[in-house]
Amino acid sequence: MRRTMVASVLVAAVAATAGACGGDKSTGETAGGAKEIEVLYRVEPAWPHMEKTLKQAKTQFEAAHKGVTIKLTPVQGTNEVYYTKLALLNRSADSAPDVYLHDTFQVNADVAAGKLAPLDDYLNTWPDWSTQYADSVKQAAKGPDGKIYGVPISTDTRGLWYNKDILTKAGISVPWEPKTWADVLTAARAVKQKVPGVIPFNMYSTKVLGEAATMQGFEMLLYGTPGGTLYDDTQKKWVASSKGITDSLGFVDTIYREGLGPKQADAFDAKLGEKVGLDWFPGGKLAIGLDGAWMSASWTPTSTKPWPQWTEKIGWTPMPTQNGEAPGAVSMSGGWVMAMSSYAKDKKDAFDFISTATNKENTLTYSVSTGDLTPRKDVASDPRYTAANPSVKFWTDLASVTHYRPAYEVYPKVSAEVQKAMEAMVTGSKTPDAAAKEYADALPGVVGGPDKVTTGS
Amino acid sequence: MTVTTVTPPSRPAGSPVLAEEPRRRGGALRRLLPLLPALVLLVIFMAGPILWSLYISFTNETLTGSASVDSRFVGLENFVKLFGDDAFRNSFLLTFVFVIGSAVIGQNTLGLFIALLQRGRGRVVRSVVNGVVIAAWVVPEVVAAACWYSFLSEEGTLNEVLAFLGLSQDWLFTAPMLAVTLANVWRGTAFSMLVYSAALSDVPGDLLEAAAVDGASGWRRFTGVTLPLIRRSILSNLMLITLQTLASFGLIYAMTGGGPGTASQTTPLYMYDQAFRYFEIGYGSAMALVMLVIGALFSLVYLRLIKVET
Repeated sequence: MRRTMVASVLVAAVAATAGACGGDKSTGETAGGAKEIEVLYRVEPAWPHMEKTLKQAKTQFEAAHKGVTIKLTPVQGTNEVYYTKLALLNRSADSAPDVYLHDTFQVNADVAAGKLAPLDDYLNTWPDWSTQYADSVKQAAKGPDGKIYGVPISTDTRGLWYNKDILTKAGISVPWEPKTWADVLTAARAVKQKVPGVIPFNMYSTKVLGEAATMQGFEMLLYGTPGGTLYDDTQKKWVASSKGITDSLGFVDTIYREGLGPKQADAFDAKLGEKVGLDWFPGGKLAIGLDGAWMSASWTPTSTKPWPQWTEKIGWTPMPTQNGEAPGAVSMSGGWVMAMSSYAKDKKDAFDFISTATNKENTLTYSVSTGDLTPRKDVASDPRYTAANPSVKFWTDLASVTHYRPAYEVYPKVSAEVQKAMEAMVTGSKTPDAAAKEYADALPGVVGGPDKVTTGS
Repeated sequence: MTVTTVTPPSRPAGSPVLAEEPRRRGGALRRLLPLLPALVLLVIFMAGPILWSLYISFTNETLTGSASVDSRFVGLENFVKLFGDDAFRNSFLLTFVFVIGSAVIGQNTLGLFIALLQRGRGRVVRSVVNGVVIAAWVVPEVVAAACWYSFLSEEGTLNEVLAFLGLSQDWLFTAPMLAVTLANVWRGTAFSMLVYSAALSDVPGDLLEAAAVDGASGWRRFTGVTLPLIRRSILSNLMLITLQTLASFGLIYAMTGGGPGTASQTTPLYMYDQAFRYFEIGYGSAMALVMLVIGALFSLVYLRLIKVET
């Protein structure tokens, strides 16, 4: 009895270890002497779009480049999971992918670590770069040294999506055009009062939702307050405290204290984004959502759960500034680029793949299915781009009021502090003032010293 | 198994004593040689990473950014920060609750209880019970977590049943620590049960009979005869499940992700957050080192207890 038990324990242990050690990988030259380029990207059941685009690009590339194979390596999971996986693979030249999809807010950190290859020499030989990309778009992946480290495949803006039927039922006239934060709260309160069983307002506000909470949530408020910012560009210091920060937290507090937001359990659900897109909006369970331009991707014919009626049921409007201060609306922008690893052995072919993946046809496929805004001029003017999605023009025009995150190396840690403060608003464990003070106290430790912070207006 | 070198009982006076030495050394070498490949692998894949993490816990190493290629030695800075970190203290407390609740109390007593109940039962009963309990142990951690997630979630089985009583709620949100503790008890009890079944089968039946004849009650026989006899098994079992639970990550990560907020964020989860989400691998490793020391302390206490003779 004892011996068999010991044996079975051993077998289990060995099996577990063997499982953990799986995943052998090779890059560069394959056995036959043929070249291989590894491409890393993200995929989720509700987000197969990048995979579709890259498969299309792989076929085109391999037809034009005999002897070079593209190895597509997907990472299953959320953005947060993808960042982690990429950072780990990038630790060593042997495991780093040659080409990867990269969030622009991570570019600076990787440039500082020398993980990315500058693309300027290749871009100069690629006619599309000068003709199809606006100068503002080219900045997306510009390093501190002025070199370009990625070709943009998408950009985005943020604002309010709303369910027309629910707002009408609540007595709010449609099209809804809120001019101040108070207008937004008034509409949410009306929904709570007159349309029971519906969640009046959703904004991402917990740590588990990561950057979505900071960017779609907090920053959409902060950058709409007078002088509100996380980073003072002129002083080159982080803003530890300001009226804008306290007021923004106050808005989140109001949402949750008055029961205008989702239930706590949902607010803390890592899959909240999927719920909003696939369930709450199509199911008429949510009135207003502060979200990204890509929201409609959940409803397009290429989605896992198409909802063709959305164009009639759903409306969109800019997020207003706090008291309607000029320019009257606020938006935040980020985006993704195709970047090349500094470890890539065959940089010429790797760049050829990047330029194939971001050519007009592939960018169009990607933009139409994701609802992301396109960085390319020829795609933007293509009738298929706007025809597929009536909201695209609106989101593209928001670029005139948009802001960019201070995506420096320490930004992810600052973002984590913001999420902590927001979470205290969701649970009600602190007042906005107390949470703002805690943020101010924590900031010097995260950004590298008290001389790197300042007090805002 | 004991390995001793037998010395000849009588040695002629004046013969060289040292002549024995080379042969003995050669013997040791011969025995070590077949172990060498395994030893090398262990050193590379076990000792290597441990030493590396030991080293980087004293540096400001990160996974991205300039510090990832240009890290420097910061001495005890990580540890000073660690002990002043509220989130770490919170995680530490939760880990303690989790280990005591799910391993020392939950798995241990339930395992012993099931093993005791099975004593002297028929073959069929034993195989059915064993099968059911071990099934929970055999399923992969993530699968177990997914089962519990759907059982406890808002529209899950438990709430469907409790709806009649009006008690339904989102358990993973209202009682996350209880949820993960229960799940871990459910999953880990099989191990303790197996250890105790084996130990109990070594308790001589005639001893218990003799005690019964002397008029000892069932409880008295258990505390007076059975427990002292299986004391060593209890302590080894406690040691194993404590260490296992101390490092438990997947189950909690998949069930609650450490949330809501930090309500179920045990140290392994906090460590993961710091090391792989905020890329502070140096700080995360410092935490791992502290956990290692605590695990070692636990084992030392258990080992001492095993050695103490009653």
